Amino acid sequence: MSHAVEIDSKTAWGGGQSPFRMSYGKIFMWFFLVSDALTFSGLLCAYGFIRHKYVSVWPVAENVFTHFPGVTAHVPLAYVGLMTFILIMSSVTMVLAVEAGHRNDRKGVTLWMFFTIIGGLMFVGSQAWEWYHFIEGTEAGAMRSVWDIDKGQYVTKLIHGANMTYNEYGVPQFANFFFFITGFHGFHVFSGVVINCVIFINVLLGTYEKRGHYEMIEKVGLYWHFVDLVWVFVFTFFYLL
Amino acid sequence: MSEFHDDYPSYETMYQHDEAHGKQIRSKLWKVFWLLLAITLLELFVGFKATSWGLLGSTFLKFFFIFFTLVKAGGIVLVFMHLIDETKFFRYTILLPYSIFISYLIFIVLVEGTYCGYPENKTKVNPALKEQQRKLREHHGQPIPAELMEGTSGAAATEKHGE
Repeated sequence: MSHAVEIDSKTAWGGGQSPFRMSYGKIFMWFFLVSDALTFSGLLCAYGFIRHKYVSVWPVAENVFTHFPGVTAHVPLAYVGLMTFILIMSSVTMVLAVEAGHRNDRKGVTLWMFFTIIGGLMFVGSQAWEWYHFIEGTEAGAMRSVWDIDKGQYVTKLIHGANMTYNEYGVPQFANFFFFITGFHGFHVFSGVVINCVIFINVLLGTYEKRGHYEMIEKVGLYWHFVDLVWVFVFTFFYLL
Repeated sequence: MSEFHDDYPSYETMYQHDEAHGKQIRSKLWKVFWLLLAITLLELFVGFKATSWGLLGSTFLKFFFIFFTLVKAGGIVLVFMHLIDETKFFRYTILLPYSIFISYLIFIVLVEGTYCGYPENKTKVNPALKEQQRKLREHHGQPIPAELMEGTSGAAATEKHGE
């Protein structure tokens, strides 16, 4: 029962060349990133909504994130500026790895992938340091009523730092959103580092050399740039505005 | 794959180039990197100076930061992620659905969000938190919103739960 139909390639897609002119893997990496971008945008919109609700008492980021390693002075924004620099830097090393891959330059890919992984690890470490200081809090602390499990009632006492129930710096929602959004982003960075390591090992083993192309670097590169992209927005909405 | 369809183009290798072309691409990438770095430094500088310039929390500053954030996002998506090199069809497939959904979300949050704090359209805020923010802003010489001044006679700064 063969029913052959002649397809005119000028008017309809006959199943040959894809209209996107891209490989399957890259198309679906992009689709995944769009869905992930929608998730992050939803989170940031929720953050904006709650922040607007508590606009008068929302802590000013400059008064919260004031530490810098090895410096005791009040240096707002400096540390997050450094973190942003590290992530943009690792983004540029990633794109150079992709470019080296397009020339089938195994040595170049190895070098730039290595720097990308180092940058990713530095960023995750910086975020851990930031979280540590946010949770630890300041010496002065603040008075908050906290649920006392023994007494079965709220008691007013001096607390330091922030967690999911109370926050020294202001409204608890500030800490909740900070932990959730930077945590979700940090987890993306962490998984990006793991994926980069897997690809790096494959480069060392010569998997892509045998395959004849380094397209896998492009795919992980897309994910890695997306992580940088999200940080650009987190940086603006949490620290600058 | 090509053993079955010899006429298929190989998308995996279509972006491969030689060293001479690579040099051009690298110089473009570094230019974008310096642009991103310059914008970030500018944003940090303005953010750092915002208090002394009396701009903290102003509408101008919000639009300033959001505009430069979008410029940076464009640089990353179009150049670093090579979206500009893909077909027009693919660019729109990625950007249009996202833009439509998110513009709608922002619109609905901005418009319907005015209901929060119903019925007086005013969020009840703990007086202790108001006191804390007022003192902090005073200490750092930052502008104090009018809502922080009302009901702060200086007394009763302790927090009550369940208000």
